[in-house]
Amino acid sequence: MSLLLKTHYELAKSSLRQNRTRSFLTCLGIGIGVASIILILSLMGSISSLISSQVSQMGSDLIVVRPSSTRSTVDSVVNELTSSTQYLKSNLTLKDVSLIEKLNNVSSVAPLAVSVNSLQGDDFVPSATIVGTNANFLKIQNLTLKSGTFLREDAKTNTAVIGAGLANDLYGTDEPIGKSLTLLGSRFIIVGVLSKVDDPINFNNLDLDSSLFVSAKVLNQIDNSLQIQQINVRATNTDGIEDTVNLIRETLIASKAGDTNFSVLYGEEITHPAGTLFSIISGTLAIVAGVSLIVGGIGVMNIMLVSVSERTHEIGVRKAVGASFSNIFLQFLFEALILTLTGGFFGLALAYVLAFLISLVTPFAPYISWEILAVSFLTSFADGLIFGLYPAIKAAKKNPISSLKFWG
Amino acid sequence: MAEENEIIIKLESLTKRYGYGDAASYALKDFDLTVKRGEFIMIMGPSGCGKTTLLNIIGLLDAPTSGVYLLNNEPASRISARRQARLRSKKIGFIFQNFNLIPDLPIIENVALPLVYSGYHKTRRLIRASEVLDRFNLKEKEYYMPFQLSGGQQQRAAIARAIVSGPEIILADEPTGNLDSHSSSLVMEELKRIHSEGNTIIMVTHNPTLTKYATRVINMLDGAIDTDIKTVKDSDLPVPVASRKKKPQKSLKKQKKSKNKKKKGKK
Ligand SMILES: Nc1ncnc2c1ncn2[C@@H]1O[C@H](COP(=O)(O)OP(=O)(O)O)[C@@H](O)[C@H]1O
Ligand SMILES: [Mg+2]
Repeated sequence: MSLLLKTHYELAKSSLRQNRTRSFLTCLGIGIGVASIILILSLMGSISSLISSQVSQMGSDLIVVRPSSTRSTVDSVVNELTSSTQYLKSNLTLKDVSLIEKLNNVSSVAPLAVSVNSLQGDDFVPSATIVGTNANFLKIQNLTLKSGTFLREDAKTNTAVIGAGLANDLYGTDEPIGKSLTLLGSRFIIVGVLSKVDDPINFNNLDLDSSLFVSAKVLNQIDNSLQIQQINVRATNTDGIEDTVNLIRETLIASKAGDTNFSVLYGEEITHPAGTLFSIISGTLAIVAGVSLIVGGIGVMNIMLVSVSERTHEIGVRKAVGASFSNIFLQFLFEALILTLTGGFFGLALAYVLAFLISLVTPFAPYISWEILAVSFLTSFADGLIFGLYPAIKAAKKNPISSLKFWG
Repeated sequence: MAEENEIIIKLESLTKRYGYGDAASYALKDFDLTVKRGEFIMIMGPSGCGKTTLLNIIGLLDAPTSGVYLLNNEPASRISARRQARLRSKKIGFIFQNFNLIPDLPIIENVALPLVYSGYHKTRRLIRASEVLDRFNLKEKEYYMPFQLSGGQQQRAAIARAIVSGPEIILADEPTGNLDSHSSSLVMEELKRIHSEGNTIIMVTHNPTLTKYATRVINMLDGAIDTDIKTVKDSDLPVPVASRKKKPQKSLKKQKKSKNKKKKGKK
């Protein structure tokens, strides 16, 4: 059997070599399809490894509480990320923060109450991200200050810490300590500036660099529509973290009289919903790329049909000297498979060249995994099989006598 | 009297019809024929009388509309398509008027083609093809492409292809039809040699001077046998090379006197 396969492989190879240009163009079609799928998978892999590296950077002792317990459906993810109504839906409160603080194995807790408002400093910024939190935020986020101090629980006045980017917009300088600003009619004094942070994707879904940080308690007094979107918790001990997660969940359910409309996450789960969204986007793109693979496959079928009809006489001769149905069938199927597998191989190479170029201008490094290699092999193999089938059957079914008369 | 060669082909009221009803026409009509191993049969007859159809059916490329075809005592209709293909590669060799070499393959690969389908490794295929080409004085042309050869050389290569797997039956459809007389006689000498080695040959020709090579001459008319003349006694037919050790070698002298008319003789 293996001898027969080898023979068919040789036959197919030699006939492809006779039509170099045509074979090359057909390969190119498949290559582009495979390349786009691989590129998307590579980007997707790169993004999700970026996200999880950020989580691991945040440490394995991090627990996050978010409103809304549904996490698995596409709808909920899209809702969470796109609709502002989630701000209104949140059932987390500052009381929850103090409840969690008292629990066993909890080292520090910081709420995250995000809203968008206009700010008046030296200049006017019509919409800035305002983060209501507490003194623990800096430590929990592993952030550092460029200058000044962070928010303090015992502050006598309204204080604020500012991201370097926003400082430039409001004051034209990244050293605005002591300057004041007006938020919702209240005056705040800048006491600290965050060091520049360069991670566009993080588990808070926040651009910290262009945010203003104030005390959640203070913010709650001046903005009564304020909602807490997230509570970040650091555990003292990583080992018992699952118990801690359960403890937080039970405590909150008890305090909310059975309302379970929130989720307590740790580890990989935290990358959600960003990770899930990227999966959805990538999946959609992969389907689009799949269409190009189908187009490539139709190209293969077209070329194979041309080849079959051009070689009708050859098929007649081969049958006359002993080729069976399956001999001819396999010869042409192998041709299609060689075309698509070669195309797939070049597509893979092309994808990584592109992925490398993309990595030069974005934070997304080329991402290679066995799954991706398997996908590129399997898609090109399936392409050859599906679109080579009909031409191969057509060739194998040809009547030897009339085929021999074909230009014979 | 020595024992006679066995029957290799037997056709019984073989009919090939094209079309139906009023439009029906018969390429072969109630055709009977018995062929013994070692016969060299020449089939003659006007164009359209069914000679090619007959060879195609004997060569398992075509199936009769009705009638029985026994190949080595086995009804051909009961042989699966797959085994028919294998028989074509191993037991039957075709030679065509227009050579039917594959133009994209070098001569040696054309000659090796039947071996592809009888399961030889590539190197063994090429070695065997090269040996056969050597016999046909074409060894130095083995890596030429078909178009680089003369018609006579192409036909000799095609004959090499027909015998490369050592078939029992050679079917030749006007093999000299496209050749000049010099090339024709070279080709006929090859066929004569193949025949003397005990092979069975059925050849269609329009050239009456070639009948001197035959052991039997059949004239066809309208899909049936018109005259059937044996010029060599069945007992004097050559035996296959492989079984010669068992039988004493027969003289190949033609016994012209033993004409043996079957059916109605027109003369
Ligand atoms: N595929 C076909 N369809 C219809 N008629 C055919 C076909 N093939 C052969 N014939 C007819 O069958 C008859 C015998 O053809 P053929 O065997 O080629 O004759 P020969 O080889 O003796 O010239 C002819 O009349 C021819 O027209
Ligand atoms: Mg004919």
